[in-house]
This record gives sequence, structure tokens and C-alpha cells, in this order.
Amino acid sequence: MFKKNFRHDNLAAYAMLTPILLGSTIFIIVPFAYAIYISFYEWGFYQAPVFVGFKNFYVNLTDELFTKAIWTGLKFTLYVLPTQLVLGFLFANLVKGLKGKFASFVKAAIYIPTVIGLILAGVIFLFIYDYLGGLANYVVGWFGLEPIAWLAEVRTALPAITVPAIWTGFGITTLIMLAGLLDISESYYEAAEIEGAGTFGKMRHITLPLMRNIILFLLVTGFTAQISQFELPWVITNGGPVNETATPNFYILQHFLNDVLIGRSIAAALMFFVVLGAISLVIFKVLNSEKAVDG
Amino acid sequence: MQAKWGKSKSWTVLLSVLIILALVVSACGGSNNKGSSSSPSASASSSSPSSSPSASGEPEPSASESSAPAEKVTIEFWQRSFEETTNKWFKKYVDEFNKSQDQIQIKYTLVPGEAWDQKMKASQAAGKAPEVYTMNYGGIANAAKLGQILPLNDLMDPVKFDDIYDNVKEFITAGGKYYAYPKLVEPSAVLYYRKDLFQAAGLDPEKPPTTWAELLEDAKKLTGKGVFGFSTAQVAGDLGWSSWGLQFGTSGHEALTSDWSKADINNDAYKAVFKFYQDAYQSGVMPKQALAPYPDMKPYGEGKVAMQVNGSWAIGQLRNSYKDKLEKTGIAPMPSQSGDPASATATLGGWTLVVDGKAKHPHQAADFISYLLAGDPAIMIDFFKTSGFSKFSARKSVDEAMKSDPDASKDAWRALIAEKIIPNSKAEPIYPWDVSMAVSTGIESAMKGTSVDKAIEKAEKTINDFIANNKLAGTNPKQ
Amino acid sequence: MRKSTWTWSRIFTTILSLVVTGITIFPLVWMGLAGFKSQEEVLAAPLKFFPTVWHFENYTSILHDPLFQKAMGTTFLGAITFMILSVAVNAAAAYAFSRLEFSFKKFWWVYVMTTYFIPGFAITITSFVVVSKLGMLDKLAVLILPGVASAYSMFFIRQFYLNIPLALEEAALIDGANRFQIFTRIFLPMSLPPFVIIGIGAYLGYWNAFVWPVMTMTNENWFQIGQYIFNFRSGRVAEMHLLMASSFLAALPTVILFLIFQKYIVANLKMSGLK
Repeated sequence: MFKKNFRHDNLAAYAMLTPILLGSTIFIIVPFAYAIYISFYEWGFYQAPVFVGFKNFYVNLTDELFTKAIWTGLKFTLYVLPTQLVLGFLFANLVKGLKGKFASFVKAAIYIPTVIGLILAGVIFLFIYDYLGGLANYVVGWFGLEPIAWLAEVRTALPAITVPAIWTGFGITTLIMLAGLLDISESYYEAAEIEGAGTFGKMRHITLPLMRNIILFLLVTGFTAQISQFELPWVITNGGPVNETATPNFYILQHFLNDVLIGRSIAAALMFFVVLGAISLVIFKVLNSEKAVDG
Repeated sequence: MQAKWGKSKSWTVLLSVLIILALVVSACGGSNNKGSSSSPSASASSSSPSSSPSASGEPEPSASESSAPAEKVTIEFWQRSFEETTNKWFKKYVDEFNKSQDQIQIKYTLVPGEAWDQKMKASQAAGKAPEVYTMNYGGIANAAKLGQILPLNDLMDPVKFDDIYDNVKEFITAGGKYYAYPKLVEPSAVLYYRKDLFQAAGLDPEKPPTTWAELLEDAKKLTGKGVFGFSTAQVAGDLGWSSWGLQFGTSGHEALTSDWSKADINNDAYKAVFKFYQDAYQSGVMPKQALAPYPDMKPYGEGKVAMQVNGSWAIGQLRNSYKDKLEKTGIAPMPSQSGDPASATATLGGWTLVVDGKAKHPHQAADFISYLLAGDPAIMIDFFKTSGFSKFSARKSVDEAMKSDPDASKDAWRALIAEKIIPNSKAEPIYPWDVSMAVSTGIESAMKGTSVDKAIEKAEKTINDFIANNKLAGTNPKQ
Repeated sequence: MRKSTWTWSRIFTTILSLVVTGITIFPLVWMGLAGFKSQEEVLAAPLKFFPTVWHFENYTSILHDPLFQKAMGTTFLGAITFMILSVAVNAAAAYAFSRLEFSFKKFWWVYVMTTYFIPGFAITITSFVVVSKLGMLDKLAVLILPGVASAYSMFFIRQFYLNIPLALEEAALIDGANRFQIFTRIFLPMSLPPFVIIGIGAYLGYWNAFVWPVMTMTNENWFQIGQYIFNFRSGRVAEMHLLMASSFLAALPTVILFLIFQKYIVANLKMSGLK
């Protein structure tokens, strides 16, 4: 059937793809190619750029802070992503059982942190972690403990900034999970119940397999979103203490802002792109290996 | 099935497309760059700024040169957003300037600090930078070296530069020419202390500490009952610049040798600086987590610390937001290791206006700077007044005129800072920020428990690696 | 017996939902209250939840500021346009990639998906050079067009399309419908759930943008709300009370829209079940 319509498809397909291809090319691919070009140069804008070969890449690679930033990004993602997915999945199951106006209210309310955006979330959490006046140490005080230097201790700083990340992404994760859950026909569950499956069994044998596409989507997008994080370290910790919360994009941003010549920060961004692409590719491959995604 | 990732063929094709695109863009980019740097210079003269006095380059309406006003020139002016009072001052005098004559129209844009670098760098890359903009002292030498800003010697009356204090003149000079006109200077470190708490702790409120040892001793006595004795920068980003003064004052040199060939920190003086911060933090007289960023006077204003080191700008914040603390506040130079009053403990930061390297109307742009920063002292006095005398003049004539100003002359804090701190303060270093960060990261790690020797060694290695990888040796633009 | 466990679980569910909702709603409430405080009190420690003096003038001064009204208006206009365009463009592409066979399909798929991984910083400056060469600076188009093509949105919608059974369109094809008709008549009506989520995401992305508008818009008349808000965060001491008040006001329409949309989403989520 598809074969017969092949020629028709070409016309239709290219008509439907033209906008996205034009947009991607003009506003992403061309600037990207231009950026690749610049990454081989040292450029101060007002004099002709000086070709420096792979120097910009070399400088980043030999900077231990760059490799540390990649690890920090991975650690951060590892804290945030699973927590967010599990919490979102559990809460989506919970919300699914709610009825009426209350359900609508809950669904709207959990989205509020996402509405507010990461920068403001960062500002709010900066106050929460305030050493003397913050909510976090206020709670710590209930237990008669000394205030904790959340953002100044090497041990606590990175976990501390994962909280706003989980919190801002929680609403959208839950809603997408919920959309997936509601898509699953009740008849599957009824059939499973007749066969005597429990709550856990139903989740494992029906819900999770049928949610594969959605979980794959959330994994990939969540991974890129979290490892690209820079707003929270920028607003809350400024990468400290002792570079403990400097994520890859924070590192790039710092060099972008402080370097006199452009080139190095762009080279760093390109290398980060390669790392990011490679890891995402692995996630895709692993998840796709069992069964093709497309139906 | 149809759309799987990792099909190596697609990747190869895509890669080649990207490479081809990069080459194409590079061809365009190269020629564009040439184009954009040559076309404005044709009309404006980045090479010879003085060639045509009415440099607008636009054909004069031949009718009558004297009576009819020449075509109005519009100059883009970007101001980085500062305190509300400063922003208002800029806006006010831009309007005044626009009203005062009919040759030049200033188009004023206020740019939020968070977006300044992105906006500026992008416009420079696209050849669309404003003709006049704000720049801090630390940026001048590098910008001059890269041709991003024009020398002002031929654009402004030389008398205007004679008016500037000698040490500030040095800040704006590169290769023997003046590249900026200074607006103000502000020392980065002043000690603010609570006289009432000094008294309560049995200390003499008229005798602030002058050495680090005294400082830490007093701080210990002042700590307790929800008050910390001392507060200064404690995270790398803040320490990076706020510790420059102590670094220089203690060692007599910067963190790099003057030819930028290697780190110069593995010595007793630098170790002493590291040790000072380590002692202050670990003795418990400072909060374990910064209560606010270094430039924010909030912890002191809210009564949570008895002594806080901050820049002179904090006076403005105290006067505007924490009036109840004004009476009880004493100020003094930040103590030094030895107690020698001539030893530097602060750097002088501050802001200037510059003319863009590709400015189409450099003369008109400079005329605006002459009016605003180098003209009538009353304009600058208005600025210093509205900022609560928390900033200081770079011009002798302005200080002279301020002597007859009743508010300014009776301001004791202003006098103390102007007489005891500014003359001993040092220029900000101009080496890459990475170097300062390596030092301050070392200081922070020493505060958090690394031994001073180890922290110094690590910082030294980081700096030397940075120098080697970036071929930094011999690139000091001031040399 | 069965009835009582149901009740217990229901109570538990309700309480848990309330707690979670409380946590998620906290910042909005906090922001709203902080907007009533004086500048010093916002940052004051120890923690104070309610303002000691209610400064209503913080809100009224912002609401009466013509720049604020203008910024809200243009940002809303831009966000809606952006939302519609990005849904339309990416849905069309998602359909093509999920259902059509055409030449160089794999190549274009990789081509589009690659854009998803390109970090924003890498292309901030070069994108600016491109839009400035295209003469787009200081026009609303510069805020809208560059973000429309989005691999993320396309991929998201495609994941939904892959779940739609082939049988539906095969029948239509036999009836002689062409691909556009199938897209507009069969796929679009079923697409509301992904459209709502992608649409809201696009809307918010536009609404919360800050750096790009600051870079590309110098004309005060076209200021976006993010630019307006962050003008309160200038230099060393931020005007936190006004920052919070304006952020609250800026978030409010979105939250209200979301509350209204909520019913719609729930209704349409069920429709997409394809029972």
C-alpha cells in the first residue's frame, strides 16, 4: 500500500516538511555551521579572526574544570531524572483516581512551578536555603539542630540545587504521564483483573509496557533538559562551592561571559553537543532494541 | 522501523552537509567580516579618526552651511543597568544633552546586567554595536588591544584629560593613548563596623582594627547572640575580585609575573592571604554560608554581623535602606597584614564611557562624553550627591567644586575614603578572569579545609597550565 | 470491607494530593505575598510569610505603568502566534515522519533531530548575526520565527501519532482521500492532547524568554514581559518587591488560562483513547 503511494507521498511529505526544514536550516543549522567555523578561530570581532586550528578544543580538553563540569552535569541528571520520573509516575496514578473539580484543580496547580520558570524558581530557592532566614534551616531548627550551610558545603550543594529542578519539572512530567495513563484502555485492566493480577502486576505488565513511548520521550527530553541545566547554578550557587555545582552549560556560560575572545566557549559548547548526542544515542538504542518505536 | 537513529549513512551525509555549510559560511563570514570592517571605516574612519572633523560622512545639504542646521546625527548609547539612582541620572542628562543642542540626538538604551554580555558580544559580531557605551576599567586594555574601542586623544579636548587624577589616568591608558573617559572610582573594600556592638563587647568604638590579627580578635569578641563578628567574601566568584587588594597589598605584586609568563603566588605573602581567609572562616566568626553576595550590605543592615567588608557603594545602600544603622556605624580602611596604613587592601573599580571601534560618528560620540563626564562639574556633583557620596570623582575639578558644596564637604565618610583609602588602592588587574578564579578557588578551598600549602600549589598549577594552554606569556597589553 | 478500604485509600489519596499541591503552589503564593512587602522585607531574615505592612502600591504602580500594559499585550500576542505556528509546523512534520514514505527520509530525520541537541549558547551569537543580516531586528518576527521549528515538539507529536492505528487511514485511503485530507480530517481532530501540551510549552517558552528579547529588541514599544520584569533586577541591589510583584502579575494570566484549559485537556485526553 505504501509502495503504491510512494510518488504521492513525496509531494505531500515535502510540502509538510518545508516549514520545519526551512526553520531549522535558517535559525539552527546555519548558525551552527557558522559556530563550527568560529570554533577554529580566535575572534575579537573588530579584527580579522585568527585561525588557531584545534587550539580552542585543546584548551577545553586540558582544563580539568571542563571534564569536571561534564561529570557534575551527569551527576546532577542522575539525581534529578529518576526522581522526577518515579514521582511523576506515582502521582499521575494517584491523580488518575481523583474526580471532579478537585482533580482539575490539582492538575492545574502542579503545573505552576513550570509556569514560573527556572530563573524565578532559582530566586525562590535561594531564599529557602538562606543560612539564617531560610525555610530549610527553619525546619532543621524544629529538630534542635544547628543551621546547615546548604549551599556552601561541598556535600550538600549539588543535592540542594536538584530540588528546584525536580520541583519545576514535576508538573509537566506528571501531566504527560497522566495523558499516557488515560490513553490505556480500561478493558486491559479489566481483563487482567479477571486473570487475578494485583496492582503491582497490572502496573508491570500493562501500564509500563504501554507507556514505553512516553517514558522514552520523557527520558530523552529529561536527560537533555537536566544536563543542559545552567539557570539554577547560575542563580543559586554561582557554580560553587569550589566548582562543585558548575554544570557543563554553566562552564560554557562563564567562559562566554568572561573570555575576551570568542571561540573557546563555542568550542566547549560543540564538544558538549557531541557528548550529549552520543549519550542520547545510547539511550535511544537501548530503548529501541527491544521493539521498534514506530507502530 | 523507518526512523531509527544511528543509521551510519545518514550521519555521514549530515556530517558532510555540515562541513560543506561550515565552509560556505566561512567563505561568506570571511568576506562579510572584511566587508563590515571596511565599509564603516570608509565612512567613519576607524583608521584615521581625525581626518574629517564633521565625520558624519553624509552629503551636506548644500543650501546654506551656516544658518540651516546640519543633518542631525543619531548616536546609539547603551548603559549597563546600575542602581536606580544612577540609571535616573543617565536618563536625565541624556535628555538635557538632547535638548541643549540640535546636532546630535542620543538614542539611549538601558541594558539589564544579566544580558549585557550576550547583547554586546552579539552586536559586535554583527557589526551593530552602539557608538557609545559603559565599560569598567578592567575591560579597557583588552578592548583597546582588539580594536573594539577608539582612542579619545584626538576626539576630545586634551585639557579634559589633564583634569583626571594621575592614578586613574593610568587605568584608561593603553599603548600611550586614552581609550575611555572615567566617570567614577570606588574602592572595593571598606570596613564597616557597629560602634554600639564594639562598646558592648568592651572594645573602643573609635579604634577599629588595623591588622588581620586585631580584626580576628575583635571579631571573636563580637560574635555571639545571633550576631557574627565578621563578614567578607567567601565564595570563589566574589573572592576573585574582592581579594585583589589584599593580594597586592601583602605581596606587592599581582598573581602573575608582569610578562604573564607564570604564576607568582607560591610565596609567603600569598600564603598569608590564604591563611587569613582560612582563619576567619574556620574560627567561626563568619557565617558558614554567605548571608548575601559580597556587594550586598544586607547582613550588616539587618544587624546580623558586627563588621562587614564591602565596597564604598554600600554607603548608598545603608543610607537608603538601613537608616537605623547609620548612627551606629563606623567606617575604616580594611585592615592589612602589617597594619601599615599605606598598604593596599582595596582595588579601585569603576565605570567609564568608551567610543566603539566602528563608530560612524566618533566626534559626535565623543562630544556627548565630553558633555556628560568631562563637562560642567555640576553634572557629576549631581551624580555623586544622588548616590549618597558612595562613589568618588576621577576629576580634580569636580572634587574642587565639591569642597564648596555643603552636603559633600561635611560628609565625614566621604573624606575618610577619599583621603585614607583611595590613595592607597590599586588598579584592578587586567589578566584573564580565569587567573583570578584560580586564586579565589584556592582561597575558598582553604576556607573549606584544604591546607594552605596544598591550595596554593593547586592554584599555581592551574594558573601555569592555563598560561601554557592559552599561550598567555608575553601577551600583557599593558607591557 | 471492600468499601471501607476504598474510602481509606480515597482519604489517603486526597490528603497526599493536597500536600503535593500545597508544595507546588507555594511559590506562587509566596511571590504574590512578597509583592506586597517593602524592598527590605522581601529579603529579610528571619523568615516572614506575611508582610508587616501591605504595600498595595507595588501592584498598582506596575498595573498603571503603560510599559507594563504594552509589554503584557505584545508578549501575549507574540506568545499566541508563536504557539499556533509551532504547533502547526511541527505537527505537519510529525505526520510526515510518522506516516509517509519519501525519499531521503532518514537523512531529514537525523537532520531535524540533530537540532535538538545543539546547545543554545553555541549559536547565540551566530543566530544573532543571521537574524540581523535578515533585517529582523526590532521586529516581532525575530522573537517568533527562530524558535518555531522544534525537534522537541515534532518528536513529541510524532510519538502520539505512532500510537494511532493504521487501520483508520487505510480505510480513508481506499475511499480516495489524499494525505492532506487524512492529516486534517483524521489526525488533527485527534491531536488535541499533544497540541495542548506542546502549545502550552511553546507559550511558556515564549513568555519566560529573557536574554533573546533583550538582545534583539531595543525599541521600548516592543519590550517583552521578561525584559520588563528583569529591569527590576539591576546592578547590585535588586528591587525584589517589584520583581516579585511583576513576576506574579506576569504568571497570573498563564495560571488562569491553564485553569480554564484544564477541563478541556481532561475531556480531550479521554477522546484520544481511541476506544
